[in-house]
Amino acid sequence: MSELQSRFEAIYHNNYQKIIRVCMGYVNGDEALAKDLTQEVFIKVWKNLASFREEASISTWIYRITVNTCLLQLRKKKYVKGEEAIDKLLVSEENTHSSKEYQLKKMYQCINKLPKESRGIVLLALEGLPQKDIAEIIGVSHEAIRVRIHRIKNSLTKCVQNDSI
Amino acid sequence: MTVFKDLKSQWSNQNKVEIPEDGAKKILEKIALVRKKQQISNVVLGLTAVVLIAFFFYVSAYKFQTVMIGLLMMIGALVLRIGIEILSLRRLKNMNVATTFEKFKQQMIGYYEKRKKVHFIATPIIILIYCFGFVLLLPAFKESLSVGFYNYIVVSSIVLFVVLSLFIAREVKRELLGLRELQR
Repeated sequence: MSELQSRFEAIYHNNYQKIIRVCMGYVNGDEALAKDLTQEVFIKVWKNLASFREEASISTWIYRITVNTCLLQLRKKKYVKGEEAIDKLLVSEENTHSSKEYQLKKMYQCINKLPKESRGIVLLALEGLPQKDIAEIIGVSHEAIRVRIHRIKNSLTKCVQNDSI
Repeated sequence: MTVFKDLKSQWSNQNKVEIPEDGAKKILEKIALVRKKQQISNVVLGLTAVVLIAFFFYVSAYKFQTVMIGLLMMIGALVLRIGIEILSLRRLKNMNVATTFEKFKQQMIGYYEKRKKVHFIATPIIILIYCFGFVLLLPAFKESLSVGFYNYIVVSSIVLFVVLSLFIAREVKRELLGLRELQR
């Protein structure tokens, strides 16, 4: 196995969990679709790994690839269909309103009501990334991202509470 | 009252998805397989072109000017359309995903703007060329085919044209929606 391959394997194992969590946020919590998206992300990671120059931290670099790949892949019909299917599922599960799973699905649904750019930002915030890192991933100033995060956080919490965004 | 901190806690406490065994190895295998498939597609496309050219000479199409022009227009329109699609796909594949989201979004908007030009300028011209080529071939078809088969060709072409137009219109609508969402 080449040095690059071993490096890729290490990156895969160290980052898989967080990447799939972000991807789940893009596809309304559908695990199968999120796995497909995650695979696409790692394909891009592999293709760009040789040119990674350590100008950014590996984590920031991988998150950039993740949000960009998700934006690119969400054009495809299968991901749109996935979103619709889960939306219907949520409506039929309203009787289990208090369950943890329902709350999470509700959160997924609210995330999916946000524009794709805001989705990326809020998912990174939910992952607990510092605002400075999110600004670096999105490519805007720290001040601008602070304002945007504040606005998106408010929209998301309001949606989860009232089902409106 | 839900606050963002609660959402964050729910988010981090969700069930973990297991890391697939040999996942990294499978990805590398998939990349190799895709590369192989691309090579096969290139060979198939090349062979198709050779067969078309061979057929062109086999039926001595060059001897009949109208037939030749008609065939060239139809084949040319198809080749042009396929060429545009291949270039678009290559552009998508070569986008720099390791850049910032804002820069990537601009790349995507640029891609969709180009697609808009393809849909509203290139595609109508290509369709017109294709249809004109087909109409040029009709007298030759009428002369050499039975009435039944000739009618079949005319009717099936119209049906195919309508189905294809609806398909293209749906794709255009989807891409325009994509562009609108990015520009929000």
